[in-house]
Amino acid sequence: MDSGVLAFLHHAFIEPLQQGYFQKAMLGGCIVAIVSGVVGCLVVLRRMSFLGDALSHAMIAGVAGGYLFMKVLFGIEAHAPAMLVGSVIAAVITVALIGFVSRVSRVKEDAAIGIMYTGVFAAGVVLVSMFRNYIHIDIMHFIMGDVLGVADADLLASGIAAALVLTVIVLFFRYFQLSSFDPVMAASIGLPVLLIEYVFTTCVSLVVVSAVSMVGVILVVGLLITPAASAYLLSDRLGRMMGLSALFGVTSVIGGLYLCTWLDSAGGGAIMLFCTLQFLVVLIAAPRYGMLSRWLRLRRAIPQSLREDILGVVLKKETAALATILHELGDPAKTRRGVLTLADEGYLSLEQDMYSLTESGRKEADRIRRAHRIWEAYLQHVGTPAEQIHGRAHELEHVGGIATVSYLDDLLGHPDKDPHGQPIPQDPALMQPGADVALSLLRDGQSGVVSSIGSAVDGTALKAGDSVRIRKRDGQGRWVVLDESGTEKSFDHKSADTVIIRLDR
Amino acid sequence: MSNPSSFPDPVQTPAIRIQNLTVSYGPKPALLDINLTIDPGLLVGVIGPNGSGKSTFVKSILGFVKRDIGDVYIQGIPTEKAKGLVAYVPQRGAVDWDFPITVREVALMGRYGDLPWYRQPSGKDHAIVDDALEMVRMQEFSDRQIGQLSGGQQQRVFMARALAQGADILLLDEPFAGVDAATERAILDVLDRAKEAGKTLVVVHHDLATAAEYFDRLVLIKQRLYAYGTPAEVLHEDLLSEVYEGRLRVFADLVGNRGDK
Repeated sequence: MDSGVLAFLHHAFIEPLQQGYFQKAMLGGCIVAIVSGVVGCLVVLRRMSFLGDALSHAMIAGVAGGYLFMKVLFGIEAHAPAMLVGSVIAAVITVALIGFVSRVSRVKEDAAIGIMYTGVFAAGVVLVSMFRNYIHIDIMHFIMGDVLGVADADLLASGIAAALVLTVIVLFFRYFQLSSFDPVMAASIGLPVLLIEYVFTTCVSLVVVSAVSMVGVILVVGLLITPAASAYLLSDRLGRMMGLSALFGVTSVIGGLYLCTWLDSAGGGAIMLFCTLQFLVVLIAAPRYGMLSRWLRLRRAIPQSLREDILGVVLKKETAALATILHELGDPAKTRRGVLTLADEGYLSLEQDMYSLTESGRKEADRIRRAHRIWEAYLQHVGTPAEQIHGRAHELEHVGGIATVSYLDDLLGHPDKDPHGQPIPQDPALMQPGADVALSLLRDGQSGVVSSIGSAVDGTALKAGDSVRIRKRDGQGRWVVLDESGTEKSFDHKSADTVIIRLDR
Repeated sequence: MSNPSSFPDPVQTPAIRIQNLTVSYGPKPALLDINLTIDPGLLVGVIGPNGSGKSTFVKSILGFVKRDIGDVYIQGIPTEKAKGLVAYVPQRGAVDWDFPITVREVALMGRYGDLPWYRQPSGKDHAIVDDALEMVRMQEFSDRQIGQLSGGQQQRVFMARALAQGADILLLDEPFAGVDAATERAILDVLDRAKEAGKTLVVVHHDLATAAEYFDRLVLIKQRLYAYGTPAEVLHEDLLSEVYEGRLRVFADLVGNRGDK
């Protein structure tokens, strides 16, 4: 390899590693990233993202409190464990206050979170500035974090916190999983759901507190949520999601640290930027839940309207070569796939390169033709200009389904011809031998036995059990039937709807 | 019980016994003086209009609500001590279907109640889960994420979990809400199989028209217990119009249809 390239690689990747501060940042960052990745999964699934934000802000009060406590009582400056404990206490108090406010008032939880965390944060800021002569905390440092200036004490504290939290999560994995997924079931088998929630909140506080020194108050919630969200888009199991999330956290830290040395930027910012870019890549490219695959699926799906159009073309032509179908309809690639799919599903049969409708294909095509012609009749009924009727009906025939068409059919008085004088097919799903069908839906020549008659119909005309044959409708559009004795009886629309006839086999 | 052979003990403990139960939220009672004994091995539907206290009724069987007066016994044990004796099947709308969890993992949750925290599920637990999945015919979907199932399959996964829990009493919250007719039949089939296996099933149901056909017994509640008995006893026009206050048009039809059978 060219020595120049080697030298560049050495400069870019190896040299930073030889710096003590870089090693420490890498170690501390990875510890924090792993544990926030794991905990973050549960935060995402429990929809508690805002809580992470709240906790990180609230802890400044705890840091100040812990600092003051040790300084006043023991005269120790910036005692890290005390500040850590103070932060966790502040976080837990904040959570308790949030719960309290949303329980005792009509203020909902999201608003309660907003009120309480800014309140506790403000208390912290006031405290720090009031005692600025005693407390040597740089608020900016606190807000922005300083991953490249990690102190040994911070490293130790985050190490202990991480070990503790990971142990709890691994040991009680099942409890966290169940209470996140189905708290009702968890309570019903006797799990202490409330206790689990408190333990979990404490875990989140510990993680947040140990991460703030690295990436700062503002970005910590990102480190908690973003890797978990990336992993969420890639996994169908919680355990796997946690593993991936920890991995994404680690890669963000490593990538971000290099980024910040190369660009000479803020460490925390670079880490979160890298993490966010990583999420965007996953969002686009994830195999199942990504945007690209969703778009591909949509593109590959054959729309219902195209399926119906293909059946319509074959119905019209009786038999049709693939070329004819492609010629009639646009989008050859999709149409070709549509034809193959329909043949696969048994709607079309192929003989000597000609497609024709199978029995189920014909039924389906009749259903569509019926929908089309009823829509045409309806469009004429509502006064649509004649030249628009066919086009509009062609769009509308795909709308609705059987109930829509039945409704329109009834509204129009069950016409048997469309505005162009073409016959409207009967509903193929209804016209089965032995089925009970209202007289109003029957046509000339059909026969059956009356199975019931609505109470509004003149009882002397027909009774249940009579065999009848249906005749053409008369001049007034009334339904005419011939009974056993050959007498004609006629019914108006309303009565015909309630005369139910069981079709002959 | 008409079929004593499946229950060898002639003096059986009632599956659920509720005595003088009153539960209130604020000044208005959600449930008032409920007395009810449900024998084992029955498929029981709980019906009543919206806001009639059906969900409070369910919660009190699970031991989740604070009772003002009264007691609830599950197989003779006070409900607060009877954790795990009742398996709960949630409403479909109450589940996060995007949760990263597979069919098998959901069914395995049924075993969690019997597992101490330090122990992993054993071969026996996995065998129970297999049986439960088999019973609801979901074995082939074991490794699917639950969001990728149809409505009826989703319902069956939670049935499997309830069966894996090994509880004798199953509590289902509106399993028939928002599913099509074929799915409804498939779910009913699973309910019948569970009943044959000796389970007691208590099902919150909203559709009066199918209630008579589906259930052995019906509980009609609106704050008070209006009736408990066979569908023919409960689906009375007077009773229904009193409970539903004439908000339901189909009484006449319903009661009429029952007369035909």
